Amino acid sequence: MTSERITIAVAAMGGDNAPGEIVVGALATAAELEVGVRLYGREEEVLAHVPGGVVPDGVVVVDCREVVAMDDEPAAAVRRMKDASVVRCAQAVRDGEAAAMISAGNTGAAMAAALLRIGRIPGIARPAIAVPVPVPGHHPQVLIDAGATVDAAPEWLVQFARMGRVYAKARWDIDAPTIGLLSNGEEEGKGDQLRKTVFDLLRKEAGFVGNVEGSDLMQPGRADVFVTDGFTGNVALKSIESALRSLATIVFTTLESTDEAREASKVVLPLLLGAAEAYDPDLTGGAVLLGVKGVCVISHGSSMAPAVVSAARVAIECVRAGVVQQLRETVTDAG
Amino acid sequence: MPAETHVERGPLGPDDVLAMIRERLAEILEIDEDGITREASFADDLGADSLALIELVEVLEEDIGERTVGFSFDDEDLAELLTVGDAVDYVMARLAANG
Repeated sequence: MTSERITIAVAAMGGDNAPGEIVVGALATAAELEVGVRLYGREEEVLAHVPGGVVPDGVVVVDCREVVAMDDEPAAAVRRMKDASVVRCAQAVRDGEAAAMISAGNTGAAMAAALLRIGRIPGIARPAIAVPVPVPGHHPQVLIDAGATVDAAPEWLVQFARMGRVYAKARWDIDAPTIGLLSNGEEEGKGDQLRKTVFDLLRKEAGFVGNVEGSDLMQPGRADVFVTDGFTGNVALKSIESALRSLATIVFTTLESTDEAREASKVVLPLLLGAAEAYDPDLTGGAVLLGVKGVCVISHGSSMAPAVVSAARVAIECVRAGVVQQLRETVTDAG
Repeated sequence: MPAETHVERGPLGPDDVLAMIRERLAEILEIDEDGITREASFADDLGADSLALIELVEVLEEDIGERTVGFSFDDEDLAELLTVGDAVDYVMARLAANG
């Protein structure tokens, strides 16, 4: 644990609402969380969103000219665009100018930048994206991998499980996080060949509780860490997000459907909106790329300013909890 | 960090380059060097994705660049490198072109 002032590198040019919302969020991060912020992007475009064009104390704008587009091939783009904001952020972490980086742009590019510029933790075969999945009245579950490594070998999923456990413990102070293997049935023997092989490997892992199903996500009790390959994890995550959006649409449409419903909504709506904050991706914080030698938080593509602040909170927690060091010690020592 | 197997500073030969690639690829893919043969396909035999290949390219540029200033891979050529042997031959050709 450390109380030293932390500096966060923010990629200003990444995301559907960049640079405006990202800049506003970065300024709010510096003001609200009392951290230093290095904001990487085209200077004139960044400054256009800084009130009065005057950069406040604690914020440094670093001019960089290239932008990785959402449809660029990530690894090639990172190699080619050495002056892209996401690449410069990763270099800042590597060079010790920042303790963590945040990007809301091309997820693959953030991952490639982190991997190629910050580097992998020795012994970890592939990085994985850990996403907190909200659970009503309970601490979040960790879904890992949510999209970093689409084609995964069985041994890599074991490392994902260990990384997810370290992360769950560090973020939510869970003494002994439980691990579930996401499959198509809870009984042993369910799943495709990958799942069956991983099940056998996970038997020896501390905290392993067996298979879990998609229906166990967002439900307390079954497991703290849901382990899967990046393909399945991404599909699961997007399905949850879409279902939540549809549910919200149903509720709000119903509350507008009759005079009585509109009257009732005057009481119910503020309560619902308050409760919904726990499921708002702008407020729940970003996904963390685990397995690289620095803290890299990936915020969703449509991030607004509050999402940047939330992602910064996650980054600060990870830095203060020493997640990277714990991963080095725990995951690689476990063999 | 230079590859530890190459402490001497003579000209690189194909065997040196193969050894360098095997060592670096084993580190990147967290696999045993023994499985990395000249004939091995990056994707089909070794499970190397595009990110792993670019990691390899960048680390080779760094290693070889310490001995041959300006050595680099041309991004346009990367798609042609399908096997370990392709990469060895490519490095040797680039070294020869550099004089």
